[in-house]
Amino acid sequence: MAKKGLHSPRLDTISMVEETIKKNNGLSKTELWKKLPKQMMYQTFSTVIDYLIETKKIILNTEGKIKLVLEEEKEKTEGKESLKGTEEANERKEIKETGKKEIGTQKKQSIEVFKVDLDDKTKKIAVELSEIERKSLKALNEEKKELSVQELSEKAGIELDSARRSIQWLNEKGLGKARIQKSVFVSLGKEGLNALKLGLPEKNFLKELGTEWKKISEIKSIPKQEINIALGNAKKKGLIELKKEKELIIKTTEKGKEFLKKKSEEELMLEKIGEKEINTDLLSEKEKEVLKFLGFRKDFLKHKEKGNEFISITEKGKEIKTSEILLNAKIRKYNIQDPVQEIFPGKKQPYYKFQDEIKQKLVSLGFKEMKNPLIVQEFYNFDVLFQPQNHPARTWTDTYKLKKPQYGKLPEKRIVNAIKAAHENGGKAKSKGWKYTWSEKIASQLMPSAHGTAHSARQLVKGIEVPGKYFSTARCFRPDVVDATHLIEFNQLEGFVLGKDFTFRKLLGLLKEFATEMAGAEKVKFLPDYYPFTEPSVQLNALHPNLGWVEFGGAGIFRAEITKNLGIKEKCLAWGLGMDRLAMFKLKLNDVRELFSHNLNWLRKGE
Amino acid sequence: MPTIESSKKDLEELIGKKFSKEELMEVLLCVKGELDAIEEDVLKIDIKETNRPDLWSTEGIARGIKAYVGKEKGIPEYKVLKGKRKVFIDEKLNGIRPKGAYAEIREIKITEEVLLQIIQLQEKICQSFGKKREQIAIGVFDLDKVKGNCKYFAAEPSMEFVPLGFNEMMSLREILIKHPKGKEYGKLIEEFEKFPLLVDENNEVLSMPPIINSDTSGKVTTETKNLFVDVTGFNQELVNTALKIMCMALADRKGKIYSVELNYGKKKLISPEFKKEKIVFSLKEVNELLGTEFSKKEILKLLEKRRMQGTVKGKNLVVDYGDYRKDIIHSWDVIEEIAIAFDYNKLVPETLNVFTLGSLEEENKGINKARELCIGFGLQEIASNHLTSKEVQSKKMFLEEEFVEIANSVSLNWEIFRKKLLPESLDFLSKNKHCSYPQKIFEAGRCVELNESKETGVEEKWKLCICISHSKTNFNEMKSVFEALARERKTGFKLKEAKIPFLEEGRSALIEFSDGKKGFIGEISRKVMEEFGLETNVSVLEIEL
Repeated sequence: MAKKGLHSPRLDTISMVEETIKKNNGLSKTELWKKLPKQMMYQTFSTVIDYLIETKKIILNTEGKIKLVLEEEKEKTEGKESLKGTEEANERKEIKETGKKEIGTQKKQSIEVFKVDLDDKTKKIAVELSEIERKSLKALNEEKKELSVQELSEKAGIELDSARRSIQWLNEKGLGKARIQKSVFVSLGKEGLNALKLGLPEKNFLKELGTEWKKISEIKSIPKQEINIALGNAKKKGLIELKKEKELIIKTTEKGKEFLKKKSEEELMLEKIGEKEINTDLLSEKEKEVLKFLGFRKDFLKHKEKGNEFISITEKGKEIKTSEILLNAKIRKYNIQDPVQEIFPGKKQPYYKFQDEIKQKLVSLGFKEMKNPLIVQEFYNFDVLFQPQNHPARTWTDTYKLKKPQYGKLPEKRIVNAIKAAHENGGKAKSKGWKYTWSEKIASQLMPSAHGTAHSARQLVKGIEVPGKYFSTARCFRPDVVDATHLIEFNQLEGFVLGKDFTFRKLLGLLKEFATEMAGAEKVKFLPDYYPFTEPSVQLNALHPNLGWVEFGGAGIFRAEITKNLGIKEKCLAWGLGMDRLAMFKLKLNDVRELFSHNLNWLRKGE
Repeated sequence: MPTIESSKKDLEELIGKKFSKEELMEVLLCVKGELDAIEEDVLKIDIKETNRPDLWSTEGIARGIKAYVGKEKGIPEYKVLKGKRKVFIDEKLNGIRPKGAYAEIREIKITEEVLLQIIQLQEKICQSFGKKREQIAIGVFDLDKVKGNCKYFAAEPSMEFVPLGFNEMMSLREILIKHPKGKEYGKLIEEFEKFPLLVDENNEVLSMPPIINSDTSGKVTTETKNLFVDVTGFNQELVNTALKIMCMALADRKGKIYSVELNYGKKKLISPEFKKEKIVFSLKEVNELLGTEFSKKEILKLLEKRRMQGTVKGKNLVVDYGDYRKDIIHSWDVIEEIAIAFDYNKLVPETLNVFTLGSLEEENKGINKARELCIGFGLQEIASNHLTSKEVQSKKMFLEEEFVEIANSVSLNWEIFRKKLLPESLDFLSKNKHCSYPQKIFEAGRCVELNESKETGVEEKWKLCICISHSKTNFNEMKSVFEALARERKTGFKLKEAKIPFLEEGRSALIEFSDGKKGFIGEISRKVMEEFGLETNVSVLEIEL
């Protein structure tokens, strides 16, 4: 910002100031000014100081003392930006020539803040002023009178709310004096708003009247209840003539005709108020009169007495040279203890994070991830797994079925026939089978997968490697009642391993490894269990350091009716672990529903 | 699966041994039973095997444990004395309820507990095994009130008798309408012109299977000394099995089983008939499957503990077992028994010792990268359900769409599979209006849409949805995020102006990736914000991954 009456400093002036500083390192600005061998205007001196700071020749430290930048540092900075040297030279030329060097605009380096001749307390206050306070002080200084909060908002160019806050803060800091004055604020009532939208009733009335005598019964535009008001107002203003014959007849007067031509004062007032609330103190006497008349009309105006804030600047406030403060407005000092806005880092959903870790563990143990579709045919969910079509678990109430689409495709005939044989008579497995007629249609019924073993079934059909280790994290769906331990959609971790000479004992070994690796179990226990698709079957219990013995998972050897009929010679050891329960342990939850909580606060605070 | 209620004292008496709670829990394992609850004398046992109806009463459980603890061994033997009674079965019942099996149990001591167990066993067999009485319905009668030979025939619905629990004569049809059991099971017979009826020689009604017994002979109390058991259904084999299981339990209560002749006219059968089944397999299969080194002697001893009888014939093992064991269909079923008898915890776990290379599913790699990028943008990952409502996915979004639907959903809230992630994210935001803004969330998950060409008639697509919500958010902010995402994933794309019903017009676009995948980006429209009750602006992005 160019200052009025500023003399552009000459090169020798700058040198003179530099020399003075060299001989008097560590003086305040005023002290230094007084020490100059040749007198100069303080403004000019200020400009030179700014320039020297900018070109890194001097600094203004926290105590308000001007100090030379140390020689090495100077060389460093000069060396680094030798280009700047040329720039500096150009700058000097510019200053000399144009004197228009804008001081306030190039604060790209951080410079120490000015404090000019203020006592310590005031210095502290000045330096911590917010943007709105600075703007307010500037406006107060310039207007040189008391301002209402609305005027302050307008003159300082800040929001009304900010102006309010500014008044409060300045008052607290003793830089301004706040005063509350009760003023009456007026806004339009129901009828007033109507009149603003549709026009004053008397206007509308007059418009309909025209110049001829009209019977009152002929007036259509105005509702009956308003006619009297309109009549009254119009007569009062001398806009109409009335005559009583059989009934009342009316005619506009000259005055009335004039009235129609332009906007009345009342209309102007309505427009002025509009949808706002205006402070009646700010109205002229004439306007107040008009308002009074409007007020006589029913429901036209609403009055509210409110305290309005006013602020005037104090001596202390005047002391703080607003221009200098504003100069540094962009780099005010922060109170490091002030609370700041809370922000949150991006995070994984805790359950998915847990699932990722489990997957990594399994991959490191040599397991291949299988595909885990959400929708499967009953063929994979039940039939391949040798669960008969009349099994109670396949009824309407125990398992979901799709309505749309309803049926899916089955794999090649060879496989379908093998499964059919398995169910009906055991097929190639030396088994009795279930002895019923197996239906392809039922097998092709679509359903959301009810257990992860459906994916293992699909893998067995698709093809497996020997030896092989497979796993999947399956999203399963069952029509269960939702409570603290059950979800409509839940997760299972399951899979199977197969290889030459795999036995039941090896299955137990695998389970023990899972319990130790994934749940940190100290000991394990094996219990006889039942699954329609494994024999023998086993339940794994693990000894948790805090919770004692807990059910960890189930496993077994896939029945021969499954593997032999799919042409698999080796024993397939299948296993399934409750992922959700494991996650609950890890995340220290008591209710499984919390795993998939939609509470953003919980997610943000999670690990 | 079924939970069986037993009296601890009763169980211990039948077994002939007392147990502490811990000991009880251990021995129950041999019948795959888990102690769900124990309240003083009352035990609630969860029997996990669905194919062992013989275990669904205290007698059956005791039968298994007795052998396990050495009180008995081998196949349980049940003697059937020759009875004189006949039951004539009318062939007109064909199509209605043609098959029956009957037995007499004499000199049985019935206590309160015995009565409870009879009712429980009857109930459990009929409900699950009998498919809610359709395949199996069981009736138990006071034998002393049954005179002479019986007739099981198709009767006129106008015939009358006093059903159990009532005290006036009612016609068969009336019973279906008025009696609670009639209302519950009437649909099994109501469409027929005649109803099944069991009467004695004096035409006294015993019961109307599968509905209800009569109040006279059908009432069994602790005073009853002799019982008559009737089982009806469609499959003789099944009906016979159910009858045998009832008889076994009653015989375990010291009742004496007397046979009854089933007279089908041309065919005559004696019921019950306890037979032995046999299964033969190679001896080495046992150790091969289990990984053990059992000797022949050990195997035979273990089989005895499981109520079976084994003999070695050359290289083979011949195992005999009672024909009530309908769950034995393959050699491995027997080998499991051997392992249970030995105790799983005595088997030493062995490591697999096989090296394989692990890997994640190929598709997942790209998805994980996208998730990591989102976290890098400071977004919070959320998880919403795959099952959702039509209201959230279409009504609130002003869309008309077709979804993959569930036929038997338990609630409208979980009726369809989500087709877009965005509605779920908006739903999430609407639940978190009290949390501090800005709110920046994302979800990477699967959506399901109809696609006839696919094997399962649906296509499961991985999608990514990002929502940024704060008062100053706009299209440009999201566009920056999107462009950064596309740049990092090295995917080329084109933006097209489009009218998207749930996005603010003029502030939205369709995305087309160079590999054919699609997406959309924009600001949520006011209308949709209102529908979800959102008060702060949301800019969104959803793309196929």
